[in-house]
Amino acid sequence: MSQENSPGVNRLGVKVAIIDLDSGNLLSIQTAVQTAGFDMQVVQKPDQLDQDVNVLLMPGQGRFAFVVDQIDTLGWRKVILDWVGAGRKLIGICVGMQVLFESSDEDPDAKGLALLSGKVQRLRHPKAPMVGWAKLNSYKLSMQDQFAYFVNSYAAPDSDYCTAKVVYGDLFCAAVQKNNLYGFQFHPEKSGAFGRALIAHVCEQ
Amino acid sequence: MLDNNKTYASDLIPRLIPCLDVALGRVVKGVNFKGLVDMGDPVELAQKYEQQGADEIVFLDIKASVDNQQSALDMVYQVATHLSIPFAVGGGIKTIEDVDRFFHAGADKVTLNTAAVQNPALISQISTKYGSQSIVVAVDVNKNEQGELAIYTHGGSQLADVAYQAWIDEVVDRGAGEILLTAMHKDGTGSGFDCELLSSFGPNFPVQVIASGGAKGPQDFVDAIAAGADAVLAAGLFHRGEYTVGEIKDYLIQNNIRIRK
Repeated sequence: MSQENSPGVNRLGVKVAIIDLDSGNLLSIQTAVQTAGFDMQVVQKPDQLDQDVNVLLMPGQGRFAFVVDQIDTLGWRKVILDWVGAGRKLIGICVGMQVLFESSDEDPDAKGLALLSGKVQRLRHPKAPMVGWAKLNSYKLSMQDQFAYFVNSYAAPDSDYCTAKVVYGDLFCAAVQKNNLYGFQFHPEKSGAFGRALIAHVCEQ
Repeated sequence: MLDNNKTYASDLIPRLIPCLDVALGRVVKGVNFKGLVDMGDPVELAQKYEQQGADEIVFLDIKASVDNQQSALDMVYQVATHLSIPFAVGGGIKTIEDVDRFFHAGADKVTLNTAAVQNPALISQISTKYGSQSIVVAVDVNKNEQGELAIYTHGGSQLADVAYQAWIDEVVDRGAGEILLTAMHKDGTGSGFDCELLSSFGPNFPVQVIASGGAKGPQDFVDAIAAGADAVLAAGLFHRGEYTVGEIKDYLIQNNIRIRK
């Protein structure tokens, strides 16, 4: 690690809080954020958030209902809605992106954060889950024609805020952006040099 | 909902997976089943393959029982904090507690072989707890004198008391995400992958199939993918420096196969 990555010296004053919803291993995403040179903390509950955090990063794995339930149980729902409402930056990854939508076919009774309209749907392909690399169809220079690593059986449908698209049985939304709200269905932290650069770019922007 | 005769559109591309044998935290190479030659540090070698364009790495701990997995767990943590592509780890995994430790250390997937045959319920346990994407079942298959397929365990040394097709079906039913198919009658022969066996799965087989065993050169990768392999795993030809991952990928691209480059 270079000197500029040492603790306390953050990249352009950016501090990232990774929300730990007890939903998958956070080691790779922590490494990705740290090697990008950002100051970082991992938080289970909102009252642990440092004052100087300016990016919330929400990874999620497993079932939609589990992740939504963790958001409610740990007291994140109102905090996240207020955070995004104030125009502050939130990045959801994998199921952490799916819960930004209203609901999911996976658990129809579970209430998403509804920061984006639409319902997450099951991908109609005989090999499920989708596991592996796919080229992104994106107009964003940060993602255009790049290969990303996916692990998912469900995904959000195409919409106005979709910034990258991929086909697996159905065409789905691989990345989404609405102002300062970002979602990535793929795993940037597992998508090689491209993914690491994307995390740095989006956190810094 | 799904039609077995339909072709489903997919942007997924075939993966190239170098496999590293490790023992006590070092990459090793066996010599005539006797001594092991130290080949280097797992993190350095994995990073070298990542830079060459590997899509994933598999680590097989061939001495897992010696130190109760601690060296393997330390290695997994080091790999997880230094690699930016997914990786699987196998060798000596027997219980769900073993699996918990490997995932806690940062592994993306675990690979089971002998333990899966001896205790098939473990496949279901892992699939339920971590999702089917987290479990790869290694199926070692050999052809007997009658040309029938038989399943082997213990690194290919013991014939298992289970029929080939029944075992494939059970692995799928119990929720494995991928099958790592090693054709022992091809392994090390340098005569290519068993493409006839690979093509028997068909495009709509519900789990991904990784072809392993027999790769001699770039054309073997083309043939395996054309036969339907979702990924191709190889060891020797990468470790011996005969081909880089990038050179194999270039050849695949020249043959109009979509590859991450």
